[in-house]
Amino acid sequence: MSLAPAHVAGVGMVRFGKYPLDVTLERMAAGAARAALSDAGADLTQVDGLYVGHVFGGPVAGQRVAAQLGLDGKPVSNHENYCASGATALREAWVALAAGLHDVVLVIGVEKMTDRVSGGVRPDPGDLDAAVGYVMAAGHAMSARRYMADHGATREQIAAVAVKNHAHSVHNPFAQYQVPIPLEQVLGARPIAEPLGLLDCSPISDGAAAVLLCSDAGLRRLGVTGPVPRVLGVGLVSGAVQTGLGDLNAEDVSRRAGEEAWKLSGVGPDEVDLVEMHDCFTIAEIVRTEGLGLVPRGQGAAWAADGHTALGGRLPVNPSGGLLSRGHPVGATGAAQVCELTWQLRGTAGGRQVDGARTALAYCKGGTVNGTDGGSVTTVVMTR
Amino acid sequence: MSLEPPRLLASRCGACATTTFPPREFCPACRAVDGLERAELDTRGRVHSFTVVRQAPPDVEVPYVLAWVDLPVDRVRLMATVVGVEPEAVELDLPVELELTPFATDADGAELVGFRFRATGTEVAS
Repeated sequence: MSLAPAHVAGVGMVRFGKYPLDVTLERMAAGAARAALSDAGADLTQVDGLYVGHVFGGPVAGQRVAAQLGLDGKPVSNHENYCASGATALREAWVALAAGLHDVVLVIGVEKMTDRVSGGVRPDPGDLDAAVGYVMAAGHAMSARRYMADHGATREQIAAVAVKNHAHSVHNPFAQYQVPIPLEQVLGARPIAEPLGLLDCSPISDGAAAVLLCSDAGLRRLGVTGPVPRVLGVGLVSGAVQTGLGDLNAEDVSRRAGEEAWKLSGVGPDEVDLVEMHDCFTIAEIVRTEGLGLVPRGQGAAWAADGHTALGGRLPVNPSGGLLSRGHPVGATGAAQVCELTWQLRGTAGGRQVDGARTALAYCKGGTVNGTDGGSVTTVVMTR
Repeated sequence: MSLEPPRLLASRCGACATTTFPPREFCPACRAVDGLERAELDTRGRVHSFTVVRQAPPDVEVPYVLAWVDLPVDRVRLMATVVGVEPEAVELDLPVELELTPFATDADGAELVGFRFRATGTEVAS
């Protein structure tokens, strides 16, 4: 099975951060959408439909955005897959284009978190994990402790992910944090869930990102002539019920998401020039790139410490600064990753440009479900 | 069923013998939906990994120890809090034993119980 690629005609973001109450979800989403339309040279009348990813936006947030933006009356759908919501909206938009239902669609990922989430995110209260005291940071902390025991990795190597991603972020004007953070500061930060500290965790953020996605006919409608970056495929898998006493960091869910990506895109893992990886926590970047098969098992922490995943390294991971620096308004993250991939593939990423980037992968993992190895995982493959 | 000692109920597949907790109406290993039986899990576990949670949402008291606990007899891994040991003294492979703990009160005032694990062979601290 092979679906037609989707063209990325335009992208736009509002800088992620902590905004006052009057910077509403609707306002941020409309701002990102207008930036994407402007980037593409498109206007509202050329858009067929709106796909909105969010988690905490409440009922019909997408329609509220449409009414504020000027896409009222159009087909609007809301997509919730926790931290993979934005990428899931993108996947549905890609499928609709490939099916011939639409030719120009707007994908928005948006979240207003700082006025409604504090202390960290957790599963749905109806999930057994929530009943036993699970918070997301705790799951990653247990992953980190086991990873260190199984692979001889050090606390410093895991912290190196934060150092690397913050070093990248100084070149990203859309990042919540744009300052370098030394290793000592990561190690000395107050503990959240040991061994992880505050700077191992992505922040609770507000923000929005938008992608204008087109079919071939859509590109003609917009009058875009030159080639633009394309979404070759978007993989989606969910966590599977685990049995037995196997490797806590097996990341089979990431392996399966990778297999979906390679199958849908026709691209192989050895062709990936850069990765935007869901580093909601430092250790997550390590085990997920390993699960995808992009980094040898057990070596991800050493790769981070040795610079192999930094700009200029063997496989640059999170040139944007990742979630750790850009911020993590959960529903917006998947769309923000696609903005970054687009800038990288256009060659317009400035000081964080990966030289000669031709093919890129974005990975999101959203939520947890008791007894499984995850909630949802998306894998977006793009090429220039 | 006796609550002394307390037991967790799992499901065991009649076809492939895989045990899973909490009990499910299908076997996650072979997808059988018939022949699943309730099984009482062994109460003895060991800590496969753990964390000391120092920050949580405002309604949650910290610190507490959260762990992946392996039940080797049944080959089941589950998540639970661990008590009876100072957070600084928890280590991998620490032996633990299942116990019940008050969880909440329902609308009729009845006490609901949950489960946790207590460190064994260690000086009890709480």
